Amino acid sequence: MITRRKALQVSAVGVVAAVGAPSILHAQTRTLKITTWGGKWGEVMKGSVLPAFEKEFKCTVSADQAFPFLPKLQASPKNDPLYDVFHTNSNEQWNAVLEDRVMAKITAKEVPNVADCYPYAVSDKIVGVSIFTSAIGLGYRTDKGLAAPKSWKDLADPKLAGARGGYIIPVNSLGQCHLMMLGKIYGKGLQDLDAAYKALEALKPIKLVDFTGQMEKMLLAGEVSMGVIHDSGIYRYDGQNQPVDFAGPGEGVMALEQVLNVTPGSKVKDLGFAYIDYMLRPDVQKMLSEAVWYSPSNRKVKLDAKYDAKLYTTEAKVAQLIQPDWKWYNARKEDIDARVTRILKG
Amino acid sequence: MSAARNRQPFGYGRAAYLTLNALLLTFLLAPIAIIVVFALNPTPYISFPPVGITGRWFAKFFNSSDFMNALWLSLWTASCVLALSITIGGACALALARGNLPGSRFMTAFFMSPLMLPAILIGLALFQSYLMAGIGRPVWGLIMGHTLVAVPYVLRTTLAVLYNFDQRIEEAAAVLGASPARVFLEVTLPLIRPGVFAGGVFAFIVSFDQFPVSLFLVMPKNETLPVVLFNYMKFDLDGAIAAASMVSILLALAVVLALEKLIGLKAYVKL
Repeated sequence: MITRRKALQVSAVGVVAAVGAPSILHAQTRTLKITTWGGKWGEVMKGSVLPAFEKEFKCTVSADQAFPFLPKLQASPKNDPLYDVFHTNSNEQWNAVLEDRVMAKITAKEVPNVADCYPYAVSDKIVGVSIFTSAIGLGYRTDKGLAAPKSWKDLADPKLAGARGGYIIPVNSLGQCHLMMLGKIYGKGLQDLDAAYKALEALKPIKLVDFTGQMEKMLLAGEVSMGVIHDSGIYRYDGQNQPVDFAGPGEGVMALEQVLNVTPGSKVKDLGFAYIDYMLRPDVQKMLSEAVWYSPSNRKVKLDAKYDAKLYTTEAKVAQLIQPDWKWYNARKEDIDARVTRILKG
Repeated sequence: MSAARNRQPFGYGRAAYLTLNALLLTFLLAPIAIIVVFALNPTPYISFPPVGITGRWFAKFFNSSDFMNALWLSLWTASCVLALSITIGGACALALARGNLPGSRFMTAFFMSPLMLPAILIGLALFQSYLMAGIGRPVWGLIMGHTLVAVPYVLRTTLAVLYNFDQRIEEAAAVLGASPARVFLEVTLPLIRPGVFAGGVFAFIVSFDQFPVSLFLVMPKNETLPVVLFNYMKFDLDGAIAAASMVSILLALAVVLALEKLIGLKAYVKL
């Protein structure tokens, strides 16, 4: 017979179990907070990459796709950062490291797959690890009677007046890379700003956009015949019968790196390192490379022939990548922004 | 007076007046026309003249779980903001107009101040406050942020009604024996209702289209439509953006029309 005392005991145990179980389960399942891109990249991440990582490492991943990432990280406490793994382009990583928001270096000790990466992925121009890169070069229309550009100087061809495309330099890292490249082509090197400003002035009239997505559409719509863009922004239309192509100028292409880094105050640093290691695995690299046309950092990745022919997958090809010195650029960004805004005004 | 005498002669002044109005209307409506063209054009970029008509961008929008989740979150948030802002804004307006409060002019300016601050700063400040309080970024935090910027709209429209309000009607009801609660429910509320709901319409639209405040307060997988559209645009600038914009415009229009039908906003316009 069930006594009143027994019934109360059973009820109490039931209530404790019901209230406590979710928090016990929650305590066992760790959450990794990351930033990540949207678009096709986001689709593949959410559809395949992240679920597989969650399953293997028995955790949940909270992936933030809503910009702006750096101000949100900066606004959160250092000892309890909003993100555990910070995915941005290289220029933002350099801003973050100055405030101790991300780690200065990541080595093969923390992330074993770093040992298999091309040197550029962890060079002195990188804070964190570059897991992929795109090449910034020239996109052009193939139906306008233009020859494939061989030099960055081809963008200055007078025939392209009003039909060439660039970026609003203060807000776009491709525009910033292009400015540095102008210094190299027309002056003494990437840091020759006077030569770069002069060359930028000579590119007017030029159509300017904020995002690379807009540049893609301007090229597709024929609003510009030639513009600065990264290779994946053109190659993603492969097989869609669009009259656009990409050319890597002979002077070299600028690297647009996809950099991952761990925040020093993260409570799940080990999981953060495991995530970066996972993203550098050859199978994961191949899947993402072929989905979004990014060049993989892991030299052991074997891409299908179509991708291998175009992407930067050999030591010789990788040698063409020029990595900007973002620390140098960011330190002068305010002055540069003011100057280029004056040049391109109107 | 005969109809002929009422008819004004068609002179240069009238022509200029009509031309100016037509230009203003074109200026206001041209962006919407471009959105319609972009939403129905099959090409994945803006091209004019359009090369055909397609519903593929609408299909892409309605078949995308990201867009649909964002749309429902935006609608849910805007509905909550509507309810909260008419309650808070209406009560504040009554207190400020009738309460004989010391410093009521200062308080009015204080309650209106969210309109004077850049919304992005409000978003950033709330984001930091929530994180420091250990709250994180819950949906109710987003709703509170939107309510903060929506309340001034209700406050302003309700105050406008209250300043034109004939208090003798309330006094007459009280003299005839109505309790203060009954006076409020049966006399005051029906009279200020158009002002409150006109502000509510603004509150709904401000919340539904809110971007700068939401930017900092949305959580992964819980993003509002404007934030999802902004992020989508950075990677895929295709007609789905225009289709989403069309749906947003139509929803906002539907809310205004529904409220007009339910409470008759025209009454407010006549005041």
